[in-house]
Amino acid sequence: MEPGETAIKDTSNDLRLGQVQLHQEVELISIDLPDDQAEPFFERGFLPGCRICPVRSSPSGDPIVNIDGSQMAIRRETANCLCVRTLSDL
Amino acid sequence: MSTSDENAPLEKVAETKGKIPLVALAGAPNSGKTTLFNRLTGLRQKVANYPGVTVEKHIGELRSNGQVVADLVDLPGIHGFSARTLDEKITKDVLEGHVEGIRKPDAIVMVTDSTRLESQLMLVEQILELNLPTLLVLNMSDELQERGGSVNAEALAERLGIRVVWTNGRTGEGTEKIMAYISEIKSGNSTSATVSGRLKRSTHPKKLPVLERFSERKKAVKEVVSEAKFVPPEPSATSGYLDSLVLHRIWGPIIFFTVVLFVFQSIFTWAAPLMDGIELLIETSGVWLSRVLPDTWLKSLLVNGIWAGVGSVVVFLPQILILFLFIGILEDSGYMARAAVIADRLMYRIGLQGKAFLPLLSGYACAVPAILSARTIEDDRDRLATIFVTPFMTCSARLPVYVLLIAAFIPNEPFLGTFLNQRAGVLILLYALGIVAAIMTAFILKRTLLKAEPSAFIMELPPYRLPSLQTLGLRLLDRSRIFLLRVGKIIFSVTIILWILTQFPRTEFGPPDIEESALGQIGHIIEPAIEPLGFDWRIGIGLITSLAAREVIVGTLGTIYGIETADEESLDLQSALQESLSFPAAIGLLVFFAFALQCMATVATVRRETGGWKWASFQFFYMLALGYFGALVAFNIF
Repeated sequence: MEPGETAIKDTSNDLRLGQVQLHQEVELISIDLPDDQAEPFFERGFLPGCRICPVRSSPSGDPIVNIDGSQMAIRRETANCLCVRTLSDL
Repeated sequence: MSTSDENAPLEKVAETKGKIPLVALAGAPNSGKTTLFNRLTGLRQKVANYPGVTVEKHIGELRSNGQVVADLVDLPGIHGFSARTLDEKITKDVLEGHVEGIRKPDAIVMVTDSTRLESQLMLVEQILELNLPTLLVLNMSDELQERGGSVNAEALAERLGIRVVWTNGRTGEGTEKIMAYISEIKSGNSTSATVSGRLKRSTHPKKLPVLERFSERKKAVKEVVSEAKFVPPEPSATSGYLDSLVLHRIWGPIIFFTVVLFVFQSIFTWAAPLMDGIELLIETSGVWLSRVLPDTWLKSLLVNGIWAGVGSVVVFLPQILILFLFIGILEDSGYMARAAVIADRLMYRIGLQGKAFLPLLSGYACAVPAILSARTIEDDRDRLATIFVTPFMTCSARLPVYVLLIAAFIPNEPFLGTFLNQRAGVLILLYALGIVAAIMTAFILKRTLLKAEPSAFIMELPPYRLPSLQTLGLRLLDRSRIFLLRVGKIIFSVTIILWILTQFPRTEFGPPDIEESALGQIGHIIEPAIEPLGFDWRIGIGLITSLAAREVIVGTLGTIYGIETADEESLDLQSALQESLSFPAAIGLLVFFAFALQCMATVATVRRETGGWKWASFQFFYMLALGYFGALVAFNIF
């Protein structure tokens, strides 16, 4: 493993979906969950490269995001397993 | 999960293949699939259970000019084929022809919500991998148009290599095109029906690791939507406005609790007159029956056994109907998904999740349908924990028992000023006791037997929509049928057994005194076990008979004390109870009923839903033990 590679990986893994501000569109990099738990996300279109945009939050502060025209509510803790990057990073 | 699901051998599937084609209706939840199904089949549908599981199969006849063109099966709404939920497993098995008693479908009608076409195409991709003739239905065409979206259906059809039609489930527009497609299947004109497949699909998609498999599908979907020039609609302004209210920091929870209280309240207040009516009807018809029938053992079985037993179930129908009317409205309108999101935080703390909200709420009417509704929970451990604690919710069968004992033992005096009297206070405490037991049990379970990393929670929030009356009505019909059959069958057989036990051993004058009967002897046998709780053999018999259904104890005690028309308000029964039960023992009995799983219908449902006796028996004995010790503690401290 090259040192440069790790560095890129580290910075890109910094941002989690749970930390993204409202109405800021981000791109999904990876899902940090075991396959069986990640599968519902894959099925709903949460795949590397897809665009996700938090549109509101639930009363308890959990994100509600827009993906491919559908709205999904995700628990904060779960959202923090979704590694994303802002589109300006592209 | 192994005992009961046996896949039908392939020969058998071929054997049952008749001349009338079977067409499967598949799609994601909230795609309007069931509304279309009801439009196509109307009342010519029947509901049955798939063997071994409690997922219902809805099969309807599709007629054209009075002739049966096809059998249509409405599959549960799913997001994918990973077979994590029971619904997904069933859908997959049906489409692959692996379910006994139902042949492999000849074609699939795939319903999509066209306003969310891109995400729904992920499922379409998976359906197409089955290589069955498929029709793609772009439903909710009006909504797509209204919100400025569009898609070139011809291009979509060409790209996917299947026929594509527009429909509007609300008005029924376009259903004739589905009809036409199915008629072609029937006449064997398959050129238009088969997958001609211009879609590039990998030959062995199932062999890829899960992420790559989905990524490949997604790539194909992206190509499809761009080629078909899909313009996504503007977000619905109404939905956005409603969500800003319903999911508001302050208003959201207020609306949530108002809705819960309203549903809860109406289960009781609206249902009460209807239940009284049904009770009266059963009583008078019972009296009438006993007058016309000759005085034989058969009359006693019919009137006191079957009629009274079945009557004790039918009485709960209004509550079940009202509950499911509300649940239907909440689900079809889209609010239920929001409620699950709001409830998730609370549920998460105790080890459950937002999707457990619906089963737990339903549990206040009856645990049987409530446990069935837990099958949308994807995580197995969460689902088991939800099923496990649902019977702690105070179901309506506990109410007659509570009412009788409270009326007999708790004075009707003010408790908190004029606001609340002692009787109402005790009733509220009993409800609270159930909730506390459920929370503690879930909490312990998720930290011991069902210990796991917290599951991921994701919930789709569908756009708000007006529920269709036809769909609501058919669902109610469906629910009442399931309730009556499932619960009725068990109560029916248990009442017959109990009746037989009261008839033997025969004396020279006919049936024995209840104390001498087989049932009475059983009561005496268990008496030592319940003596520490302050119960005598009579209560013991009541506890045994109430295994059929909790409220049966009221009628049983009536029989034992020789009171003719015993119900929970009967004053004679109250005074008889006051004589044979001390105050602390009565409190103990209340606690026992709050905890113990005195309901064979629930046990049977849990067995089917969890695929074996393991969890069903564990739950039964756990709740029994809790009830026993709860009663013991109550008896000793009061």
